Amino acid sequence: MTLFENVHWIALLPLIASFVILFLGRDDSDKSLLPYVGITAMGVCLIHSLLILKGFLFGGFKPYYRTLPWFSFGDFEMSLGVLIDGTASFMLVVVTLVSFLVQVYSLAYMHGDPRFKRYYAYLSFFSASMLGLVITSNLFVFFACWELVGVSSYLLIGFWFEKDGPAYASKKAFITTKLGDLGFYLGLMVLFACAGTLDLNMLAARAQMGPEYLPQQTAALAGILFLVGAAGKSAQVPLFIWLPDAMEGPTPVSALIHAATMVAAGVYLVARTYFLYAASPLAMDAVAWTGLATAVLAAGMAVVAYDIKRVLAFSTVSQLGYMMLALGAGGYTAGLFHLTTHAFFKALLFLAAGSVIHAVHTNDMRQMGALSKQMPSTFITMTIAALAISGFPFFAGWYSKEAILHAVWLRSPLMWTIGVLTAALTSFYMFRLIFLTFLGSSRDAHCCEHAHESPAVMTGPLWLLAVLSVSSGWLLEHNGLFASVVHFGAEAAAHHSEGGLHAAPAWLPWAALAAFVSGLAAAWRLYAREDLSLAAGIKERLTPLFAMLENRYGFDRFFLMLVSASDRLASALAWFDDQVLDALFIDGWAVITRAVSELQGLFDDLFVDGAVDGVGIVTRNAGWGLSRLVRGQVQEYMLYAALAVSLFATFLMTR
Amino acid sequence: MMEAAFYSLTAITLLSALGVVLARNTLHAALLLGLCLAGVGGLFATLGADFLFGGQILIYVGGIAVLMTFVVMLAGRASELHLRQVNDQWLAALLICGVTFMGMQKIIDSFSNTRAPATTTATTAGVGRILLDEFAVPFEIISVILVAALVGAVVFSRPRAKRDRS
Amino acid sequence: MTLSHYLAVSTALFLIGLFGALTRRNILGILMGIELMFNAANINLAAFNRFLHPSGFVGSAVAVFIIAVAAAEIVVGLALVVAIYRAQGTLYTEDIHLLKG
Repeated sequence: MTLFENVHWIALLPLIASFVILFLGRDDSDKSLLPYVGITAMGVCLIHSLLILKGFLFGGFKPYYRTLPWFSFGDFEMSLGVLIDGTASFMLVVVTLVSFLVQVYSLAYMHGDPRFKRYYAYLSFFSASMLGLVITSNLFVFFACWELVGVSSYLLIGFWFEKDGPAYASKKAFITTKLGDLGFYLGLMVLFACAGTLDLNMLAARAQMGPEYLPQQTAALAGILFLVGAAGKSAQVPLFIWLPDAMEGPTPVSALIHAATMVAAGVYLVARTYFLYAASPLAMDAVAWTGLATAVLAAGMAVVAYDIKRVLAFSTVSQLGYMMLALGAGGYTAGLFHLTTHAFFKALLFLAAGSVIHAVHTNDMRQMGALSKQMPSTFITMTIAALAISGFPFFAGWYSKEAILHAVWLRSPLMWTIGVLTAALTSFYMFRLIFLTFLGSSRDAHCCEHAHESPAVMTGPLWLLAVLSVSSGWLLEHNGLFASVVHFGAEAAAHHSEGGLHAAPAWLPWAALAAFVSGLAAAWRLYAREDLSLAAGIKERLTPLFAMLENRYGFDRFFLMLVSASDRLASALAWFDDQVLDALFIDGWAVITRAVSELQGLFDDLFVDGAVDGVGIVTRNAGWGLSRLVRGQVQEYMLYAALAVSLFATFLMTR
Repeated sequence: MMEAAFYSLTAITLLSALGVVLARNTLHAALLLGLCLAGVGGLFATLGADFLFGGQILIYVGGIAVLMTFVVMLAGRASELHLRQVNDQWLAALLICGVTFMGMQKIIDSFSNTRAPATTTATTAGVGRILLDEFAVPFEIISVILVAALVGAVVFSRPRAKRDRS
Repeated sequence: MTLSHYLAVSTALFLIGLFGALTRRNILGILMGIELMFNAANINLAAFNRFLHPSGFVGSAVAVFIIAVAAAEIVVGLALVVAIYRAQGTLYTEDIHLLKG
């Protein structure tokens, strides 16, 4: 199985490519071939991943697990290993495919950027980190890659760091995700303290052996802490605030990192450690409710946003919430299915949006409109993606969303209701975006009259992704192909085959369809026309609601408050540290130390040196004095000898 | 009879010894030394050590004391006769001697009841036998020492200039 | 007569000799003092031999050795005295201080 034996190259190749790009060639050369190094590396990885996936889908591959010892201290051994199962194989394909397409797309999109080369280095570095995260068998390495992914995200969001927005956004993203990482880290420690290993395979085996090997409380605690980490990375409530701002980065980066891959890392983490959640209903519930809240809240915010990329960002958050909801509801397969399909159509949406932005040089949808004629490819592909994400029948999103809603229904009808509502909102805001951008009238002539279709190197990936958006759902759902590869233990597979037993009512898909249609209709009614007065009127009447949505439910303000509060606390502590601790202990200590040193110096001078000098002086004086005795008078010597002998003899005799 | 001999010999010996030590004239001291040594020889006689008596008279009185007298007459000067012959540390030396004597007193007293047997035997034959029997090796060594001393004395007392020339 | 008498005499003679050796300014005087001390030792040997081992001869024999050694000493010493007198022109110890530190 050379495919598996060389699987680590999937992560290492982009890393090498990244360093090659970073350290070779000049920064500003447009003609440089270096981007092709990254693209080639990614292409190789893509083929490799596809072969592995093919093996899993049709070749009956078993999950592959291999470790080699890395380091050890005490009894503990840290291993460096790979664990490739169906989930990982899908994830590999998703990451490599989107990375590949984004890199190709970026050739045109980023053309002429002064840091073109570095951009590709970052992209490759990101891909390497992400792929490492996907294939690793060890949560510790997972965490390391997780942080590397965070770093690459930081670098790429702040790629145009000379502007204030990206610089601020990159900081915000980094710090916010770091808050989640804290949870992840604590979870790691909890797990390590309990199980003594961080190897996924061993942990899973331990969890399978029963609660005495992995107590439920530990599983719940670790699970919830991991959820906090996942919430940071996957932009779940309440840590989603960084993702809309992360749209300040280049659009392909948004497509790659903040739509398809990195934000899926949180979902992937939950999926990888699903045995924890399986062992703890509490953690499961936490995941479900977090996902649900995220899904509906983010959808609400997407409805009122005017920045085309922000709409997509909120949509991403919402869809990630959907995946979490699915995982929390026990729909392991459904959640990951949605992850896969979502990666395709969300990447497509972002790339199409990038194409639009590339054409009109603005993000604001209020300035767009009627672009469908100028940019037919973009329009068609983006519409396909919108249909897919909204759940148009037989498009990719339809299947995955269906699976999720099915799983959620089995869990709780209340959640299902909110999920369907979210689906309606999804459909509404997606078509609001489409209609505002491509239909109606051109609201800003200056922007739109020069708009033209993007070059083939950009539309090519769009079309490829469009095809996948349409077909991937059917292809994978067909014959339960996806479920046969991606399932959690025996449970999910059984669940799938016993679908009839727990069968949801037959009208379930129709409800989802109804949600889609109602959202589409509402968007058509409000935004597809020349004049938008009706929408404005509604906004007028629902001002408080809109204000709340536009303010993102106050989360931003809350976190700003939190940040400023902690800032103030930090300054207070700094003051305390500076004025009290430093003055009292450090400086005071210094004063004391100096005084003591001076005393010691004095002591040294007086006594130690004095003693040394004294010995010298005494010796010299004694020598001088004794030399007085030695006058060369032989009788004196005899006298001393006689004195000694006589004293000695007298002492002996009279004793 | 024995007491009279002992005490008179003791008196001669100690007084002449004091004279040796204290006499201003070195020649007198040398002569008194001869007398003192002769007194010691007399004491040997009272102890029945006839061989030692003979040796004492021959070697000390007849050899050493005479030799000493020669040297004194060789090296002494008339101008020195009025010089003080005792140096500055005489008081310290006296104290040392006094203390030592008092220290020795105890050992001396411990033998106050030890008396000699009435009869005495001639020792010369016995000493001769023992020197060539038990003490043969020291005897030979002492002869070597005497030869070495003789040679040394000759070497030292040769005039320097003549030695340098040779 | 007891052994004490002889010991007393020998001790007195020894100390007189010591005193002389310590105090005489003249090298010849020192040599004479040394001779006195030798003789005191010889008296001791003869006395112990007579009183404690009347039938033995070891004391006398050792005394003979001492006499021999004393003779050697005095011969060398006098030779030195002559040499010193020839070299330094004096026999007074104050004037002879080659060992002065």
